[in-house]
Amino acid sequence: MRKRIPNIAGAILLLFLLAFPLIYGRPDYDYIMHIMITGFFYAILAASWSMLTGYAGQFSFGHMGFMAIGAYTTGLLCHYIYLSPEPTGICWERGFFDQYLIVVNPIGVTSTTLTQDCLRQAMEVWDGTVKVTKMPVLLGIILGTLMGALAGFLVGMLVLRLRAAYLALFTLGFSEILKAAISAEIEITRGQAGLELPPLYPEGVTLFGHYFGPTAKLPPYYTMLALLLLCLGILAWLARSKFGLFVRALREDQDAAAALGVNITRYKVLVFTITCSMAAAAGAVQGHYVQIITPNMLFLLQMSLVVAMAVIGGLENFVAAAIGAIFLQVMLELLRNSFVIGGIEVDMTIWRLVFFGILLMVTLRFFRNGLIAPLISHFRRSGIAEETIAKRKIDAGGAGS
Amino acid sequence: MIHLGISNLHKKFGGNHVLKGVNFEVNGPELIGLIGPNGAGKTTLTNILDGAIKPASGTVYLNGERIDQLPPYEVARAGLGRTFQVTRSFRRMTVLENLYVPSLALGNARSRSELREKAMDVLEFLTIEHLRNEFAMALSGGQQKLLELGRLLMLDPDVVILDEPFAGVHPRLMDVIHAYIKRVNEEGKAIIIISHQMDSIFSLSQRLLVLNFGDLIADGPPESVKNDPAVIEAYLGSHGDEVAA
Amino acid sequence: MEFPALFWGIVGWMIVWAVAGSIITRRRYLSRDLDTSNANFIGAMAGASLGPIGIAAIWAKTPQTSGHLSVGLGLLTVLIVAVTFSFADPENICVTSGSFVASQFVNGLIIGIIYGFMALGLSLIFSILGVVSFAHGEFYMIGGMMVYFITAVWLPGINPLVGVLGACFVAFATGAIFERLMLTPMYHGKIDRPVEYGILATFGLAFTLQYFVQALAGANPVKAKRFVTFPRWSWPEWADPAWIKTRGGSLTLFDQVSISSPRLTAAATCILVLLSLLYLLNRTWTGKALRAVSQDREAAAIAGINPDRMNMLAFALGGMIAALAGALLVQAFSWLPQVGAIPAMRSFVIVVLGGLGSLPGAFVGGIMVGLVEAAGTGCVPDAQKAASYIPAYGMIVLTLTLLLRPTGMFGRRFASSTHGQH
Repeated sequence: MRKRIPNIAGAILLLFLLAFPLIYGRPDYDYIMHIMITGFFYAILAASWSMLTGYAGQFSFGHMGFMAIGAYTTGLLCHYIYLSPEPTGICWERGFFDQYLIVVNPIGVTSTTLTQDCLRQAMEVWDGTVKVTKMPVLLGIILGTLMGALAGFLVGMLVLRLRAAYLALFTLGFSEILKAAISAEIEITRGQAGLELPPLYPEGVTLFGHYFGPTAKLPPYYTMLALLLLCLGILAWLARSKFGLFVRALREDQDAAAALGVNITRYKVLVFTITCSMAAAAGAVQGHYVQIITPNMLFLLQMSLVVAMAVIGGLENFVAAAIGAIFLQVMLELLRNSFVIGGIEVDMTIWRLVFFGILLMVTLRFFRNGLIAPLISHFRRSGIAEETIAKRKIDAGGAGS
Repeated sequence: MIHLGISNLHKKFGGNHVLKGVNFEVNGPELIGLIGPNGAGKTTLTNILDGAIKPASGTVYLNGERIDQLPPYEVARAGLGRTFQVTRSFRRMTVLENLYVPSLALGNARSRSELREKAMDVLEFLTIEHLRNEFAMALSGGQQKLLELGRLLMLDPDVVILDEPFAGVHPRLMDVIHAYIKRVNEEGKAIIIISHQMDSIFSLSQRLLVLNFGDLIADGPPESVKNDPAVIEAYLGSHGDEVAA
Repeated sequence: MEFPALFWGIVGWMIVWAVAGSIITRRRYLSRDLDTSNANFIGAMAGASLGPIGIAAIWAKTPQTSGHLSVGLGLLTVLIVAVTFSFADPENICVTSGSFVASQFVNGLIIGIIYGFMALGLSLIFSILGVVSFAHGEFYMIGGMMVYFITAVWLPGINPLVGVLGACFVAFATGAIFERLMLTPMYHGKIDRPVEYGILATFGLAFTLQYFVQALAGANPVKAKRFVTFPRWSWPEWADPAWIKTRGGSLTLFDQVSISSPRLTAAATCILVLLSLLYLLNRTWTGKALRAVSQDREAAAIAGINPDRMNMLAFALGGMIAALAGALLVQAFSWLPQVGAIPAMRSFVIVVLGGLGSLPGAFVGGIMVGLVEAAGTGCVPDAQKAASYIPAYGMIVLTLTLLLRPTGMFGRRFASSTHGQH
């Protein structure tokens, strides 16, 4: 019976999250919803990172890099690729079924108001007579996810021989190179100015006869929650299948695992591919939700947040990592309000991060399995010790030690 | 019929010639002891057989398949399993999960219930079934050794190499290990035991191989090997401090 | 600014043959049963510099390749890239102006010495504790911040030496306290994966320190005054040494190469401290004890050395070295709480390039990275892009090192063994 408690608690939490946007009615609705959506975004990252790091023992600090690959893939595709029934004559274009696939020329950051890109110029000439189709957002997200998977596969192949510290350094380096490239290639990525993305639902959606505009918070809330549940579902399925067993075995001792017939190369690359594609999917959806992406999403702070959330939740339990991420994201936002003590203004926007760091270190030092995971395993594994002792008494001897 | 053929195996580490043309064959369910002073090349030989390192030259055939260029996991699938000198259990996985790994890797169980049944049988045989849901790290050193043997039972290879199975084991667990060796041998598998505990090796094995500085200096029944002048020279000569028990 | 296809063509050709060379040579070494740690590098360099002919030559005389040969081939590769570059972009300032090149070279060398010095701290920590400290950049940042606060805010006008010493002291204390509080459980097998724990713990420290400083000091850039102002010497006409001129903030050699005072003082101090460190490590009991612990913990403990003490000393000393580098460079750069990220990354690169745990490796690696960055920032045609790519140059070096020679230049340990796992 006690073993069911985590399941019941999980179900209640899930019901609460599902009903939350419908029952919450305070004036700061949009703000709270935004916090929750960002919380889900971090939850996906923390959960997939805990699979990669906690389960498979592959210590990667490049997770935000894969997230950015997802976001920038869909961002760039939506920014540069269009379908038009008429050729523009000035863009790079190819026939595509009965339409033309148009790749817009990059125009950089500074010139948006002075020189328009080739498609805008052509559209001025057409003056509304030709209807240009944009890249569907969903297709962009899917391609972003695939791109993340591909990058994860390649990085996984590259780091096969590296362990622990070397792996952490290499993946951190990967993320840094990516950041440098995005910041530097201003003509294409618009650098620090940020790349604008179409909203998640450009036309808005109608749910149960209720219309939600492109900037409404409710559709992205459910989208991100669905993505989180999908990722958790996949991770849970993987963890319960032989995949989970094998990656844990290779975390513990990869030579022993190989000697027992486990194809360690394959599972290492596979775990990279899967978790990185999840990070990319989260990045793509988040990119469309916030509608602007900058290389700042690759700052070490972002990776630190994911690491801290996963560690505080519980590194070796992805559900705990996800819950920890949502919880900490909410906490961090609630602690934002600065206050004044004895005439000195305490700037909580910074101090909260200091407390966060201290919490991370305390958790690491004294609660090595995080704060939430031990609760779950306490109930899950309840009775095992008693079982062992009881058996040992019955055996009246058993194995000595 | 099990057949392991090792011919002309050479290995160098830098200038150190560790194996100098080792030849032997294993036919059928033999129980072989492999002994030799420290630095004789026993561990290197095991690592080559298991695929962890590649030989400089020479071949290893298992049941007609060449395995010396295969990666370890394919060697395991081809039917050669080994334990490690220092126990290498998956420490933060439960005892049952430890046993599932080889079986799932080979896919030799049809269903989850069959897998569990098989694993429970193995645990009962090894007398550690009451620990099935404990993490391996909670087990004593001897119990972890048993767990490693249990994983090999689940892998069910044709040739089993046991690296120091008796080192640091409680006498009561020793009986279990002896029973294990007997059982595996009776199931028709070949066993190669590497050990420094001469009394166990001499009483158990049907055939004894002696390695010394990369050369196989003796191969035969324990009684004749015991009196082989080359073997006595190897143990008493330059390594007088390691007299056979 | 479009680059001619010629350049990319030749670079592509070199990469193809480098990959081929590294694979072929590795195979060759493996089949001959030789130590392969050098094979990838020498094969890749032979392929890159001489194409198929180089690979064939290496193939033919496989066992006789030496360290000198691989260094020579590496230099040849760099030379070919440089020559190709100058043909591809003849207008570039790196090609047309000798004094610019000399200036970049000298400045790269000087900054490289400081980089190497900072990486030394990381290497020291790694060789004793087996931990890669992710807080190294934060110690660097603290060093600079302390100097700024001491010399400009708390005690304006005081001798900068006080600031530097204060910075060293604070960093040493922080490192020692952190090590005592957080890292001690690592040593006695109480933690399952100590390497990962070490990474996470130092990562947490980095995070906390960075925001702690930001909360106290704000997010605006600060800058300290230069420590040393060169005197302006006036010489009689006949004795005027033409090759050296000093002005308040810089020193000019041969009227061409100008070195700023902050960098010169920083590099000189680094060399002095390095020499005293070498003395400490090689001549004093503590230093010998440190080296003993880095080679064999158990044996050192039996010999009466307390390894835990040495751990604390190493971590504190490593942090202090980073802080000293920061304290010396705060006069050259403007300082932010986030300033540590890039130097930390650079130190990682240097340490891997030199070989994890190798002190001379860290120093040589630092100079190499300094030169690569100087070449990268000076010669890449688009200056703005060049600046953005600064962290990437180091990372490219890191990636190449891990692919071609994971032990680094002077490393004994391979990336996937000993310290990699436990």
